[in-house]
Amino acid sequence: MSNSLLIPNHYKRLGFIILIPFLVLGALCMFRDFNFSWLDIGKSINLTDEIALTGTIAGLLMIAFSKEKTEDEYISTLRLESLQKAVLIHYILLVIATWAVHSLAYIQVMVYNMLTIPIIFIIRFHYVLAKNKA
Amino acid sequence: MRNSIKVQRAIHNLTQQDLAEKIGVSRQTINAMEANKYVPSTLLAMRIAHLFNIKVEEVFHLEEADLM
Repeated sequence: MSNSLLIPNHYKRLGFIILIPFLVLGALCMFRDFNFSWLDIGKSINLTDEIALTGTIAGLLMIAFSKEKTEDEYISTLRLESLQKAVLIHYILLVIATWAVHSLAYIQVMVYNMLTIPIIFIIRFHYVLAKNKA
Repeated sequence: MRNSIKVQRAIHNLTQQDLAEKIGVSRQTINAMEANKYVPSTLLAMRIAHLFNIKVEEVFHLEEADLM
């Protein structure tokens, strides 16, 4: 079974290498109001958070959609199943947040929510694969 | 559906890794099938039976619940 949307296996490692610094940068932007002054453009716009989010998403997608060393029908099934669970959990969390969190804090929740699908997918998919390896 | 992959593997003295390599799947797939967590496609089931040189029905058996 071939899936043309998957990228080669070595992108998984590259994904982690990209993800970690950009995730740290994103956390610094979010919690410490950090930004690089050389990324200031125009009035009151700084591109640090845009770059952090782009890098974080790129890293997560590389990890999520890189091939396993051996791609087969079970792994395809597991990938689909994990993706469905990730989407479901994402929307459950979104609905809970919609009712439980309001005003400005809700915007912050939406920021985290942008990343829940790939994160839950990556954890679930690799957890089941690791469990089946034992 | 039940299967006797583990027994056949023991008869032919193959590890999960050996079997996986011979039929071109991952070791996780063999593990999932042996644990009855995954029902393989017809193609993979026939490949397994062919490797062990027996009929598919000798490796895979329907259970009561599968008969509707």
